[in-house]
Amino acid sequence: MEKTSSPYQWGMAIDLDRCTGCGACVVACQAENNVAICDKKEIAQGRDMHWLRIERYWTGEYPDVRVRFLPVLCQHCHDAPCEPVCPVYASYHNQDGLNGQVYNRCVGTRYCANNCPYAVRVFNFYPHDWPKPLDNQLSPDITVRSRGVMEKCTFCIQRIRRAKEEAKGEGRPVRDGEVQPACAQTCPAEALVFGNLADPQSRVARLSRSPRRFKLLEHLGTHPSVFYLKGGGREHV
Amino acid sequence: MKRRSFLQLSGMTAAGALLAGCQAGNEKLIPYLIPPDEGVTPGLATFYASSCRSCPAGCGILVRVSEGRAKKIEGNPEHPVNRGKLCARGQAALQELYHPDRVPQPLKRSGPRGSGKFSRISWAEGLGLLTGQLRNLQKEKGADRLALLTPQLRGILATLASGFMRSFGSPHHLSYELLMPDWLRSATRASFGSPSLPWYDLAQSRYLLAFGAEFVESHLSPVHYGNAFGRMRQERDTVRGHFTYVGARLSLTGASADRWLPARPGSEGALALGMARLILSESLADRGALAANGLGAAQLLARLDRYDLPRVAELSGLPEGSIAEVAREFATTRPSLAMAGETVAFQSNGPESVRAIELLNLLVGSLNRPGGVYPDQGSPAGPETSFAELCSLVDAMRGDRISLALIQGNPVHTVPPATGFQAALARVPYVVSFSSLLDDTALQADLILPDHAALESWGEAIPLAGCRETVIGLMQPVVTPVFDTRQFPDVLLAAAGELGGEVAAALPYGSYLELLKKETLRRVAPAAGVDSGTGWASLLQKGGHFGRTGSGAKVFRWLPEAPLPDPAEPRFAGDEKKFPLHLQVYPSTAFHDGRGAALPWLQQLPDPMTTVVWDSWLEINPGTAAGLGIGFGDLVEVSSAQGSLRLPAVIYPGIRPDLVAIPLGQGQRGGGRYAKGRGANPLDLLVARLDEAEAAPCWNATRVRVVRISEKGGMVTTGHPQGSYRSDLIEI
Amino acid sequence: MSNAHPTPQVTRPPTAKSATAVNDELLSSLNAPTRSWYALVALLSAAVAWGLIAFGWQVTHGMYVTGINRPVMWGFYITGFVFWVGLSHSGTMVSSILRLSRANWRRPILRSAEAMTVFCIAVAGLFPLIHLGRNWIFFYMIPYPNQRGLWPNFRSPLLWDMTAITAYIIGSSLFLYLGMLPDLALVRDRSHGWRRDVYALLAMGWRGSAHEWAVYHKASTLMAALIIPVAVSVHSIVAWDFAVTVVPGWHSTIFPPYFVIGAILSGVAAVITLMIVIRRAFRLEEYLTALHFDNMGKILLVISLLWSYAYFVEVQTTWYAHEPIEWEVFSFMADRYSWQLAVMLIGNSLLPIFTMCFKRLRRCIPVLLAVTMLVNVGMFIERFLIIVPSLSHKNMPFAWGSYSPSWVEISVNVAALAGFSLLFTLFAKFFPIVAVTDVRELEARKAQVPLGRAELPSLAVED
Repeated sequence: MEKTSSPYQWGMAIDLDRCTGCGACVVACQAENNVAICDKKEIAQGRDMHWLRIERYWTGEYPDVRVRFLPVLCQHCHDAPCEPVCPVYASYHNQDGLNGQVYNRCVGTRYCANNCPYAVRVFNFYPHDWPKPLDNQLSPDITVRSRGVMEKCTFCIQRIRRAKEEAKGEGRPVRDGEVQPACAQTCPAEALVFGNLADPQSRVARLSRSPRRFKLLEHLGTHPSVFYLKGGGREHV
Repeated sequence: MKRRSFLQLSGMTAAGALLAGCQAGNEKLIPYLIPPDEGVTPGLATFYASSCRSCPAGCGILVRVSEGRAKKIEGNPEHPVNRGKLCARGQAALQELYHPDRVPQPLKRSGPRGSGKFSRISWAEGLGLLTGQLRNLQKEKGADRLALLTPQLRGILATLASGFMRSFGSPHHLSYELLMPDWLRSATRASFGSPSLPWYDLAQSRYLLAFGAEFVESHLSPVHYGNAFGRMRQERDTVRGHFTYVGARLSLTGASADRWLPARPGSEGALALGMARLILSESLADRGALAANGLGAAQLLARLDRYDLPRVAELSGLPEGSIAEVAREFATTRPSLAMAGETVAFQSNGPESVRAIELLNLLVGSLNRPGGVYPDQGSPAGPETSFAELCSLVDAMRGDRISLALIQGNPVHTVPPATGFQAALARVPYVVSFSSLLDDTALQADLILPDHAALESWGEAIPLAGCRETVIGLMQPVVTPVFDTRQFPDVLLAAAGELGGEVAAALPYGSYLELLKKETLRRVAPAAGVDSGTGWASLLQKGGHFGRTGSGAKVFRWLPEAPLPDPAEPRFAGDEKKFPLHLQVYPSTAFHDGRGAALPWLQQLPDPMTTVVWDSWLEINPGTAAGLGIGFGDLVEVSSAQGSLRLPAVIYPGIRPDLVAIPLGQGQRGGGRYAKGRGANPLDLLVARLDEAEAAPCWNATRVRVVRISEKGGMVTTGHPQGSYRSDLIEI
Repeated sequence: MSNAHPTPQVTRPPTAKSATAVNDELLSSLNAPTRSWYALVALLSAAVAWGLIAFGWQVTHGMYVTGINRPVMWGFYITGFVFWVGLSHSGTMVSSILRLSRANWRRPILRSAEAMTVFCIAVAGLFPLIHLGRNWIFFYMIPYPNQRGLWPNFRSPLLWDMTAITAYIIGSSLFLYLGMLPDLALVRDRSHGWRRDVYALLAMGWRGSAHEWAVYHKASTLMAALIIPVAVSVHSIVAWDFAVTVVPGWHSTIFPPYFVIGAILSGVAAVITLMIVIRRAFRLEEYLTALHFDNMGKILLVISLLWSYAYFVEVQTTWYAHEPIEWEVFSFMADRYSWQLAVMLIGNSLLPIFTMCFKRLRRCIPVLLAVTMLVNVGMFIERFLIIVPSLSHKNMPFAWGSYSPSWVEISVNVAALAGFSLLFTLFAKFFPIVAVTDVRELEARKAQVPLGRAELPSLAVED
């Protein structure tokens, strides 16, 4: 991982042995980030707007079938394929190791989404509205994206900002566990752990050294900030 | 309650709820005591502690409120049930508050029933109509012609509702929900003499053997057990808890298992007893535990003689080797835990099978031990025979002995039509619904007096089997009501006041809040040593009263007179030749019994196992589907002796070839724009009782036939049907 | 005619015509338009208008009116883009390369090929703008000085694209214009009224002096030499749009040369198609002879062989390495798009190679027409099969998808074809579509000068 001037390198560990696939993170993410509601037609057309999805893979045949769940969100790669291809810098890398997305700047070439091997970038094909009074639920901390714009998981950057400001006000670094994205916060099984990878004592950093760890599509050399921990012993013991 | 006192209370709650730094509370407290037009700090959110009402688990929540609007629901970290975690349904409760199709004010029916034609009326008129009806009953000396249908209420609300009915003079108060654990209470009573629900110490367990207990999606307290499951797996340094799942369908819970035993439907009890016999015969049982429960290994073994391995293997359709292996692992990897769930309970032999599974816990000494099972202190008692009560109420309605039905909840959708409920309700001359959406029940009503959404309500949420301790979760309004609605208990109190006489005397409260506050403080104050002045505010700040387990806690002990569990041969409704497949209906991960179906976030949430969105579906084994010529997404017709319906098929590798499964929740006629007319309701297929004598429901004992209709199922999955089998490409 | 090519006193071969006759014939396309011309223009304009309506629909409604989705974020628009960029190689190929290699038979088709280049690249350049989610802020991609100091990202291949295409538009327009100067002067001299003023302006005072001719020849040769690297780079860069990504099936080093070859193949085929159309429309049978078609057919044969080789290299490396996801993409493509694949292989490889081997078939106009049109159908499919299957089956199998174009995308693509044809039709009406001076230069070279009793070639140049 590259060293930067920032004391924070945000990262996440996803323990597949804990993940039950329940979907709480998916709704929490949608609730936190003003992610649009997509009707059946939109999803049928492959225009689902979820920033976080749980992939479900089947292996084997009855009765020896196994199910694997894989929560996939933006991996916040350090060598992110999405970033260099954007002609207008809408997709950029911030000092804390996050892949940012500037909605105002995005012209909608969708090149970033093509080049994202994890397919976690979602595009606003439709103009979305929230029928009244459903619009009351929209969070004032995040932009409501217009059509024609690419969007994606930000690790709940609004929460990170808030925590950093508060910590700065109190003249201390952000404590481990003080800031959590909505998905990690709600995960019943605590499969998602978020924190500062630059702090070797943080929970996520300790998990990132686990022998079970792996990165998704590691061979592509994208250097994600998201680690997965292998689901142990799903097979016969 | 006055607006001023509400604001003051809310403000004080804000102080405690500011999780990140309590010391900063004061400066954030001020704005809310000053009227909002001066004091709202834009961008600064306030957190209110409350409780979730989306399922009976009663998790604690914190609601982020910004500028008077609820923005996000989070788990309350202090709450012992969910420890700051929350499920998808809890997250989505926000949309119940801001649902665009909420009933904005009382409605009076203006067209035929079910037409959905209503005219708007004022609360005065609505309450007048309600009390007019009640007075008529009193006048005609027909007080017992009143029926009140509610979900299973607990705590003060239950007392209030039953108090109202008792003082009015009607015995017809039915607390019924399709998925409530009556079966577990009655089984526990039969074995241990008390109807306490079990609390499983899953996090400390080393081996979990779940028999159709879907604790990740619906069983008892999903967030609690989901959390405990995670800790069982990876919280301990050297121990990773092992999980074996028994069930004919690989559920979402089963998907996390290390081993799946697809036992034949209805054979789970025999399988448990077979394992018990093997454990006893190999002397793997905990002799101390047997002795403590007054049981002897030798007698027990003799009485379980019928459940020898070959027979059990034949009954369950499982290989002998796997059964023996699992039984040995279960007995030797202690503490181990056996869990029985709805899938087992809703068979014809369900109650006895559940007891057989409970016996396994006894055998390995897991009763009242860390990593084992304890009685839940929080909900020591509850309905055990609500299905029988439902049946008798249906009889009363059918016999025209009910003239006025007050209905909270949505039984028209969640009660299987085979019980005759819907037809009987049509005979009731006047139906009042308290639904906040025009759901299936409200569509059949003559008068709708809309309830508050959970986030606008005062209340109490006593968790169902989610912890050992006594917990009283409190609900408080986090925003001012969005529409002109009133809380159901307040309507009852108002009606009681209007009626006067005995009823008013029995319920002498100005508001539900008054009652709630008084009763809560009465129960909590002596224990917690809080004084009644500031105590209420501090309880609200915390989100309720979270007790500790006392030393005098109850324990499970086998009743000396309890017979050994003896599950009979399972019986099924429908001729095997005509209806060759078993049908399992199961609570959907997103909608539970259907209460989540109105919320778009949940409709959009891909079902974890099938990734279907905005729909319902039939799960069928690939081999069976191929035999019937059914492809992925094809439209099929499922018929039982009771009825038939059409829905798309999902080729589901994790299901026995002789079983098909349909999730509950969809197929609503009402329920707002997001739920209306979507999918199918599998309850339409179910046979209610195999014979009239049956007291317990057997929802999983129906046989069906499946026929392919066309390729146009119109089903949408987020997962690519072929790609879902290609995890080899990403090497996970 | 006074200021045209300085003509020595010559006697023409029996077949040769007078300069005026040649001029008359070659410039006949500039005569007053016929009713059928108006009908053609109306038809093409209607198609363009329909495309504009479709585009307007997209702008006002959103990208959902297209068929693109996650994961297939690029579809028919980018297919169209690559296709038209490919076609634009026609002019460069035919005029520059043949000019530099002094292939004299190039002369009658030179102008139309160059015009085709300009119009194709102009049409191609529109597609990246059309496909934007927010077309109205396309200028964010242009490096213009602004107060906030925001610049586009020069690391993005899309910006390279924009630069290369702009350069190519400018270069090829200059190339076209430069070659047209003497002809514009010729037209100026033959026209009257306001038209004369317009052509006079465009001819930039060309008088046809020896000095002018010398500069003209030097400049033409220079431009021809300069435009070739630009053309190669344009299509290499378009290939890099794909090759520099991590998308399986795109990430391949063969892409730049493969794309250039593909571009030349479609360009050559398009020139032949156009030659046939022009020959028929403007009755140029005497100038576009079997020899021309024969030679172009030979080029087509060579390029088609090259293309087949490149395609073989691409596929066989995938097949040999058998990298799972790459192979998955290929098998998906072969399975889902099997008939498109067949049309592509027949159209781009089997058919041209087979037919162009035979002189009789090379000289048979209907055969040529069918083959060259099929080549371009094949090339459109080739672009589609490069873009869509890879995106459909990217790295995460759970998120696989598929794509089919919507009416909007089809309309815009049809309008692009119509727009190109319209531009060309208008151009042919207002400008000399056959390079008159070039042709006459050739005539002059063929001419014999009497010297005593002998007749000698007028110019000592080898053909």
